[in-house]
Amino acid sequence: MTTRHPPLEHLLAAVLQVGVWIGSALIALGMSCAWLGRSWGVSPVLSSHITIAGIALLILLPVLRVILMGLAFYRQRDLPFSALALCVLAIITLAAFLGMQLR
Amino acid sequence: MASGIFIVPVLTLFGGLGFRTAVAASIVSVIACSSASAAPFLRNGVTNIRLALVLEVATTLGALTGVLLTGSLPVPVLYLLFAAVLAVSAWQMMARRNKGARTDELADPRDWSSQLQLHSGYPDPGSGYRRSYVVRRLPGGLALMYGAGVLSALLGIGSGVLKIPAMDTVLQLPLKVSSATSNFMIGVTAAASGAAYFFLGDIDPKIAGPVALGSVLGALLGARLLMAISARWLRILFVVTLVALGVQMLLAAAGVGPTRHLV
Repeated sequence: MTTRHPPLEHLLAAVLQVGVWIGSALIALGMSCAWLGRSWGVSPVLSSHITIAGIALLILLPVLRVILMGLAFYRQRDLPFSALALCVLAIITLAAFLGMQLR
Repeated sequence: MASGIFIVPVLTLFGGLGFRTAVAASIVSVIACSSASAAPFLRNGVTNIRLALVLEVATTLGALTGVLLTGSLPVPVLYLLFAAVLAVSAWQMMARRNKGARTDELADPRDWSSQLQLHSGYPDPGSGYRRSYVVRRLPGGLALMYGAGVLSALLGIGSGVLKIPAMDTVLQLPLKVSSATSNFMIGVTAAASGAAYFFLGDIDPKIAGPVALGSVLGALLGARLLMAISARWLRILFVVTLVALGVQMLLAAAGVGPTRHLV
């Protein structure tokens, strides 16, 4: 037996592809602002924040795709797999929480 | 492939950065590369997304353990571990990868993989048909994947060193499915440790930004560039680089060499 989810696979491909472009563009913009900030009138803090936003988006992309997978499996009444997605999300949240606590 | 394994040695040995800063920067680029190269495999139906989700429970748990361990392990031990991973990677590169899949075998309807409907198929360019395959020994695969998650979080790598035996030998996936699925999974694995390092304040945007951007460009252009070089020379180049970096990391673990920042 083979199990595939073509519409979901295409959605995930598009989200990851577009997300990487936006994240990379933000990082490139932040870096350019840091280099040319003074002549552009951009503060170093703002350029650093733009770069951090790009990095945060890159980290969030895989999390977003797990959410999309969980929702798609839920709509297909595939409850064990939506529970697995929820489980992965819970572990990632726990890791983020751990980071905050250990700081 | 496997570019993540070079980032930490280069940043620590030649960039003079602390181990944690280098690992955090490398983790961001591992995530970026995973997302940047996932699309074509997803569209062609090579990636087994059901199997990926099951294995991600183990890899993210591993990453969580890695984050917990990272504060308690002395940095020289981490250098030593990294040197060992580089050595095993070099050995794996020399050895032929196990072809793994025997596509005509029947699945055991009582095992975990059958219960979770993990068996799937992949497009075979030769015949134009989808070849079906069976996923073997899931518990063993989960155990190795947990280890891969720990290593990934500790060392900022994609952990091909454990994923290759897990996917090819234990789960017995076809090579293409194994590569596509493990690449897809590592993004989520690294997102768990990446989120922790983000809130720990280990991610320095001045380092992680350019490294991530360079890796995405490398992932997109590198694949085309690599086609121009013969596979044999590429393999030799990789092995020599891995061994050279491994020796340097070993020296760093012993406190010899250019590493000024053993923090």
